[in-house]
Amino acid sequence: VRRYIARRAAAFVATLFFVSVLVFVVVRVLPGDPALVIIGAEGSPEAAARLREALGLNRPIAVQYGEWLGRALRGDLGVSLQYDVPVGRLILSRLPVTIPLTLMAAAFMLTAALPLGLYAARRHRRAGDYLAMLVSQIGIAVPGFWAGLLLILLFSVRLGWVESGGFAGWSSGLWPGVRSLLLPAFALGLFQTAVLVRATRSSVLDVLREDYVRTARAKGVGELSVLGKHTLRNAMIPIATVAGLQLGQLMAGAIILESVFALPGIGRLVLGAITARDLPLVQGVTLFVASTIVLINFVVDLLYGVLDPRIRYD
Amino acid sequence: LSISGLRQRARTAAGLALAALVLALVAAPAAAPSPNLVLQVTTEPPGLDLTATPASATAGVIFYNVQECLVKVDRHGKIVPWLADRWHTSDDRNYTFFLKRGVRFHNGRELRAADVKYVFDRAMNPETKHPYPGYYSAISDIIVKDDYTVTFTLKSTTASFLLNMARQGSVIYPREAVDTLKSEPIGTGPFKLAEWVRGDRIVLVKNPDYHVKGLPKLDRVTYRFITDANAALAALKAGDIDVSMVGLGPEHVPELQKDSRFQVTLGETTNDVILSMNNSRKPYTDRRVRRAVTYGINKPEVVKGAMFGLGRVLGTNVDPLNPYFVDMAGAMPYDPAKAKKLLAEAGYPNGFEAVLRVSPQYQYSVRSGEVIAAQLQKIGVKVKIEQIEWSQWLSRVWKDAEYDLTIIGHAEAWDIGNYANPKYYFRYDNADFQKLFKESETTVDDRARRALYVKMQQKLVEDAPVVWLYVYPRLVVTKKGLQGVWKDLPLFVNDLSEVAWAK
Repeated sequence: VRRYIARRAAAFVATLFFVSVLVFVVVRVLPGDPALVIIGAEGSPEAAARLREALGLNRPIAVQYGEWLGRALRGDLGVSLQYDVPVGRLILSRLPVTIPLTLMAAAFMLTAALPLGLYAARRHRRAGDYLAMLVSQIGIAVPGFWAGLLLILLFSVRLGWVESGGFAGWSSGLWPGVRSLLLPAFALGLFQTAVLVRATRSSVLDVLREDYVRTARAKGVGELSVLGKHTLRNAMIPIATVAGLQLGQLMAGAIILESVFALPGIGRLVLGAITARDLPLVQGVTLFVASTIVLINFVVDLLYGVLDPRIRYD
Repeated sequence: LSISGLRQRARTAAGLALAALVLALVAAPAAAPSPNLVLQVTTEPPGLDLTATPASATAGVIFYNVQECLVKVDRHGKIVPWLADRWHTSDDRNYTFFLKRGVRFHNGRELRAADVKYVFDRAMNPETKHPYPGYYSAISDIIVKDDYTVTFTLKSTTASFLLNMARQGSVIYPREAVDTLKSEPIGTGPFKLAEWVRGDRIVLVKNPDYHVKGLPKLDRVTYRFITDANAALAALKAGDIDVSMVGLGPEHVPELQKDSRFQVTLGETTNDVILSMNNSRKPYTDRRVRRAVTYGINKPEVVKGAMFGLGRVLGTNVDPLNPYFVDMAGAMPYDPAKAKKLLAEAGYPNGFEAVLRVSPQYQYSVRSGEVIAAQLQKIGVKVKIEQIEWSQWLSRVWKDAEYDLTIIGHAEAWDIGNYANPKYYFRYDNADFQKLFKESETTVDDRARRALYVKMQQKLVEDAPVVWLYVYPRLVVTKKGLQGVWKDLPLFVNDLSEVAWAK
């Protein structure tokens, strides 16, 4: 297991390095000049030129990258061009929105998708199954931002139950914070829930056809025990794989939904950074998101061993 | 556990969910008490230092609310005394300002003439990287006579000197706060900065020691950053915001005008929307071609098709809020036959092809472009629309003049000087116009200066370096009962000092 972890760690570092080079080059190859965006169309070209010089954007890409990497290795991600605040601090300040949002969406996804998928598999080719599949088809077809707008129209404009957007902040208490994330988490989780319902259903269906399930039933084992003990556990590996990948996709989906709901999270931070060509910030956020996704996949891999003790890491 | 047990659990869960909804209902905030205001703004300011950024997002929060100038442009576009009670000049070269007494910065210290000197010395210092050094280049010396008297000596007569003193880059701040202007600016304004929650909101609170008695009328102002127009509209309808000043487009107006909860105010701005032609590129080097393009565009139809009929048709670069405005909207009316004739004279009887670069960041530019492309088709000019991202527009079109045609709003007030600058992205290089402009800059006498402005406008109309389309309308949507918001915007500012809820 130790060797396995060492190998995974090496792969982790290599992935991050690759991602950082890719982002660095792509962002710099894109036409568009951060100094001009900062100064705007009403500032003087001389001011933009001075700013470009001050930001070190005149030097070759390789030199800029080397310098950035050197500082990043020491934990310094640089300073955001548009905010003039250290990138690390900016990312940290946005985590209290994006992490709970993603987790709430994931919780919603798991609590809704697992029972629904299980139910659909049990009712295979009966009305319940078709209904569940229809609902999940709709969930897949509806884009998250549109679902978000519809939810706003219903719950804030019509009913006035929650605010239409913005984040109350955790300092005002747990409930106000959670409440401002409810709709976005639901809208964010909708698509992934629908996908996971289908994955769960087909995975459970596969297992239900196994001989040992028939044997268990023949022995007179209770239906719930058959489902919970014999079926679900064995069906979990593909489900965990899909769910792990989906966690990463939830973070990506947050970029759009944070804009729709005006939430101060990582997604809106990086969206603004790309439009403003705020290179250090784009770089920092991408690295952060990439590491999180690699970490999630790593945890999922370890989970396999828990779910199925036959799996060995070497 | 049996199936009925599961049902029991499901029932409990449903009950819990219902309880949560009821809780949400109970916990919903009551209507905001009246001395507060929540505004929606589209972009978060990149920083709050007006001496470091030209961003209008910064001006919208800070300018005239937190920080003020020696003189002020009021809601009618007039320059009025402000931090300076009055000023005096006998030769148009030396301006003496007499400061109002008892004006205090937000840190409690009184404003002195030395602060004024410090602010402009710093603005003129290239090290400062002030975004508008040109506004102060005419100043040769600043002399503090006493604590309340300061004299500016100019290198030569400069007609726009007073106006430049009222601009956003000329705000007065205390020298001891210079290092924190970017995140915690202080000044003499009616409001003090209370907090800036990055990514979410900026909160201003009333300055109880404000130097104008009875102002401000609001206790607390919250700016919320909502980028998405649909989200802004939903927030307005849900009652989460009281005002939207720039977030909504003309497409939202018909719906909101019908809604009795809101009042929609339409006014003028200095934002001239222009179809620019690259005067250094063929065929736009030829005046006949430029005039043909002008005759080929039906401006009222553009306003109708792209702006839902909102926005005043423009005939030249001076906007209606400018005291020297001359209405030239009818000077070159839509006339496709004349346009075709001019094109034939210039050697393009069958028209030509052109690429129109617009940025989807500004929807009005894309929509106007679509209408114009269809119109120009009729005179044989085949326009291909190319949408490019804003930062690309800035570097390719605006900086490098790498374009045939483009559309954008020019928001700056008093910007006719752009046509006297051959390096500006219009690339319009005309010695006669440059001479006229130079003369206007050193002519202080109002009548003589007006005559020069009329001449400049006539010259521009004849030469048609660009096509002036329309003035982008000021569009404010507020909840019923809010008073005192500026109807017109003679310069870009968001002055909230006189805004109040009706009793």
